[in-house]
Amino acid sequence: MTTAMSPLGAAFDPAADHRVERHLWAQTVAMSKRSVIAIIRQPALVAPSLVFPLFFAALGSSSFSRATGLPGFPKVDSFLALSLAASVIQGVLFGSTNGGAALAVDIENGFFDRLLASPTSRVSILIGSLAGSALFGAVQALFFTVVMMIFGVHLYGGIVGLLVIVLAGALIGLSIGALLAAMALRTGSAEAVQGVFPLLFIMLFFSSAFFPRETMRGIYRTIANINPVSHLYEGMRDLVIDRLSAGAVARALLIPIAIGCVSIPIALSQLRRRLKAL
Amino acid sequence: MTASVLASAPATRTTLLGASMGLMKRGLQRILRLPSAFFPALMMPIFQSIAFSGTFFAITKIPGFPTDRSINWFMPLGACMGSAFSGVGLGFALIGDIETGFFDRLRMAPAPRNALLLGPLLTAWFRTMLVVTAVLIVGFILGARLTGGVLGLIVLYVAGLGIATMATGWGLGLAFRFRDMRGAAVMQLGLFVAIFLSSAQTPLNVMQGWLHGVARVNPVTNILRLSRQGFVGDLTWSGSWGGLVAIALMGALALVFARRGLDGLDK
Repeated sequence: MTTAMSPLGAAFDPAADHRVERHLWAQTVAMSKRSVIAIIRQPALVAPSLVFPLFFAALGSSSFSRATGLPGFPKVDSFLALSLAASVIQGVLFGSTNGGAALAVDIENGFFDRLLASPTSRVSILIGSLAGSALFGAVQALFFTVVMMIFGVHLYGGIVGLLVIVLAGALIGLSIGALLAAMALRTGSAEAVQGVFPLLFIMLFFSSAFFPRETMRGIYRTIANINPVSHLYEGMRDLVIDRLSAGAVARALLIPIAIGCVSIPIALSQLRRRLKAL
Repeated sequence: MTASVLASAPATRTTLLGASMGLMKRGLQRILRLPSAFFPALMMPIFQSIAFSGTFFAITKIPGFPTDRSINWFMPLGACMGSAFSGVGLGFALIGDIETGFFDRLRMAPAPRNALLLGPLLTAWFRTMLVVTAVLIVGFILGARLTGGVLGLIVLYVAGLGIATMATGWGLGLAFRFRDMRGAAVMQLGLFVAIFLSSAQTPLNVMQGWLHGVARVNPVTNILRLSRQGFVGDLTWSGSWGGLVAIALMGALALVFARRGLDGLDK
């Protein structure tokens, strides 16, 4: 597909192939840069995804600090330690919505069509957008971890645990960003992309991100048990409150990868669908 | 249509109540014409009541927690949040009217200025009645029980209407000042912070740290205590008067804030 899209149009010349790859890489980097700059240039959109999770963490640490002694809670130094992973997931979900909405705005205002009219690889447009979401997810994860460490959270998983949390942030940004990019490509409407946010919020709330599954009962517990966000959260949480373990690393990384294995092909198929419709 | 409602009165100047009712009618028609604008205000508190009572079920086990039913604790919060967003929604609608120029036509109508505040306030109260009723129905289905008798239901509606009054004044006041959608974010954020920096999630005796100090002086804590009177223990005057005073003071302040904003628009 890349060869066919090549602006150079030389499909069978190895040297030309190499040049095409270089161009593809350069285009992807350029689109990624644009995606990141678009995030930086809109602090009013970015700030809530950084401030709100911290606000909820601060609220929770004061409201629920006495709950950590209840049966079902893991042994923790403070409720804030439990909130770190939830803040990362919550912040990245907020941030990913912005990435998807930005792509929809590009479609709405015609910039996407101008990109298609230029000799740019189609895939690099999508990858660029997703790379921006992934990078922002990593920055958010690092930001929340550093802020909470300043407020006394001890990271028992050590430096490797920190790296895994940051990588998990990037992977969540990538996988959820792909889902929202698919929505943007499907509908071409920023409003529709924003409309997905409540669904993500529901997934977050019906998980163990705020209180452990062991403290829930009935249908809530059943939903939390099958909700992948619960297992993702618990993997990341264990890296904070427990020593490094393969199980925690696997849950923190493999779940967003699994989500990405579904969401990225969906986004690509929506891109192909939109291109066909042109 | 509303301009014609205001102008078609037999006298040269419509009465305050007549003009306000006309504006309320328009506000209610908007619910039917644009349900997507009202739907989140209706669904959000229902979702919140369901999600919070399930997720935070364990907090009822904390020693000193006043009820063993989490839905009894979180349902009044959902009703109050819904009431607040019912009120602030009128601020969003006003921004739309200002941007399209329709509000200028309303200002030119021979109607008392206060009708431009009372009309939206009546709409907000109507919306609040719908939201609180919907939340109550869902709450009872999920197992909420009245502990303070039927009077407990009445105080919940009073608390909801009080918060809606504050939110309407806040929303209209900001809409008059910002005059574009930038105001919408400030409206929501202000309410959100005011409600959550209170006893929204846990009672004062269960809180620890900085939030306890903030929630203790936050008037919303008193209003939430009032709203929970019928669901957490018995209905008492000592648990109610603080909320009633907070509603009266904060509601009056918010409406003065809105009126001054309207006067500023006229200048």
